[in-house]
Amino acid sequence: MKSLPLTGRIIVFAVLGAFILVPLAQTIIISFVSTLPRDGIPEGHFSLVNYRNILHSPVLKEAILNSITYVLLNVALCLGVGLPAAYAFARYSFVGDRQLFFLLLVFRITPTVVLSLPIFVLFAQIGLVNTPVGIALVHCVFNIPISIWILEGFISAVPREFDETAFLDGHTLVSFFFRHLIPAVAPGIGVTAFFCFIFSWVEVVLARILTTTGGKPITMAINALFSFRTDVGLVMAMTVLALVPGIAMIYFVRNHLAKGFVIRT
Amino acid sequence: MLKRPRCRSRPFACPACPAVCSFRLFWADYSCPPQSFDMKQYDNRAWLLVLPALVIVTFVGILPLIAVTNYSFLDLFSLNNPYWVGIEWYRNIVTTERFYSSLGRSFLFSAIVLSIQLPLGIWIALLLQRSHRFVVSTVLVLITIPLVVPWNMIPMIWLNFINPNVGLAGRILGWSGVGFDYKFNAPHTWIVLVVMDTWHWLGLVVVPSYAGISSIPPAYYQAAAIDGASRWHIFRFIQLPKMKTVLSMVLLLRFMDSFMIYIEAFRINAGGPNGATAFLSLDLGEEIQAFNYGPAAARSIVYFLIVMTVAWAFKAATGTRKPLAIEPVR
Repeated sequence: MKSLPLTGRIIVFAVLGAFILVPLAQTIIISFVSTLPRDGIPEGHFSLVNYRNILHSPVLKEAILNSITYVLLNVALCLGVGLPAAYAFARYSFVGDRQLFFLLLVFRITPTVVLSLPIFVLFAQIGLVNTPVGIALVHCVFNIPISIWILEGFISAVPREFDETAFLDGHTLVSFFFRHLIPAVAPGIGVTAFFCFIFSWVEVVLARILTTTGGKPITMAINALFSFRTDVGLVMAMTVLALVPGIAMIYFVRNHLAKGFVIRT
Repeated sequence: MLKRPRCRSRPFACPACPAVCSFRLFWADYSCPPQSFDMKQYDNRAWLLVLPALVIVTFVGILPLIAVTNYSFLDLFSLNNPYWVGIEWYRNIVTTERFYSSLGRSFLFSAIVLSIQLPLGIWIALLLQRSHRFVVSTVLVLITIPLVVPWNMIPMIWLNFINPNVGLAGRILGWSGVGFDYKFNAPHTWIVLVVMDTWHWLGLVVVPSYAGISSIPPAYYQAAAIDGASRWHIFRFIQLPKMKTVLSMVLLLRFMDSFMIYIEAFRINAGGPNGATAFLSLDLGEEIQAFNYGPAAARSIVYFLIVMTVAWAFKAATGTRKPLAIEPVR
């Protein structure tokens, strides 16, 4: 195994970059092109008409809002229940802890399509379909395990004396959590929020099956755009908008991206 | 046999056993030097802290599974009028040729995808390790972008990309005269799926691998240099063991996700041409969309059992494996 010279490495990275970016570039270009015949705009020329159409469409705007609502709800839920659970796993051993951890692993890797039917049947009976709350809850099935994993790693990295000192100072568990633990593992909370956000944002199978008539997320709104005469430009513009939050999140955590994995292992 | 206490040390805190005790929570059977053991406090009140998470997981995971187990024994032509059919749906699934051919195709797809993505991802991570900091962060950000694309848009982006009339790749392929036809030529559909999946998930291999490699202290490489270790030996005895724990996780996630690939494969060619890309989950999706509650429920249970088996095998395999690092550079 020989070390690759600098030029070779540059070529590899350039090819890799092209492989990642070229399919996306085409999507972005089309989003700026008018793809249907319209008054005043020649077909196939640069225009912002697609983005303007999104702004003027209440359905599409509502879809964007729905997506953001359930993703934020989900992140809040996962952090809220994940932090105490991660603390328990990091600091204590208790009856059935390994079995519980295995159960979480199983639910993390269970494909959503396998759970989609039972969840739909259950949620239809208790009236949690067509609402962002339902989707936010359902996405917990794979996001809670992730948040516990990542946070557990970060909490374990904090020495135990840290807790003991706080308790000696008279802190209760709750005030210790808010005053000491959360500030101490703030980067971990950021990384966790990133992963929960991403996995909830990209998931479509459960989001689709739970929104038959209303509360459609952005991904389903795009599906609904396909028709006999699809406005490809509009579809691509929505796709680009759907990418923006994810890429913004990557930008915010770019320096911690690798760290999240190091600490997790 | 004596039950081993858990190993709490993390790789960078425990120079005595690098790469040995990482997934300490449930891979606790590694032979670990005694100084890295640290008994956690035993306290069943910790259940109270886990309870909220468990309640939600029960509600969205366990309860639906119980419900669906019930449905899988019923004929639910209408939900008000269930009719007990016993194991008929299960028998239908495991006695049809279709199930086994789908299973075979899913395994083949996973095998191809893993054998491409794992070596490629590790190779890129190795190249990154010797690169400038700026290059590293650029490549890591770039390679993460496909991970944040909503899953139903990935096939859309690729269908557009390989469209023979407007797509960049499609036009190049048409112009070069390969006769590329992903709609009716089965190998071509497979190529599209594999390339698309690699595009989508390569980041999930590269980022953790890079994280694993970059956590190796420089002293290891210095020691290896003194010993005159070759590049291969450094990879085999230092870098690979250090990446092993992350890689086993990546392997599990990538295997499951590719094995049960659904929305991407469905959108590209809906299992065609002629069922050549009909994977396991596509059969399930078909039944759900046809509202065949009973058979779909039985199929969900069968697939869930497959998932359980894989997870269990994974746990057993990683739990008993002896560490690869034979301490050549202690």
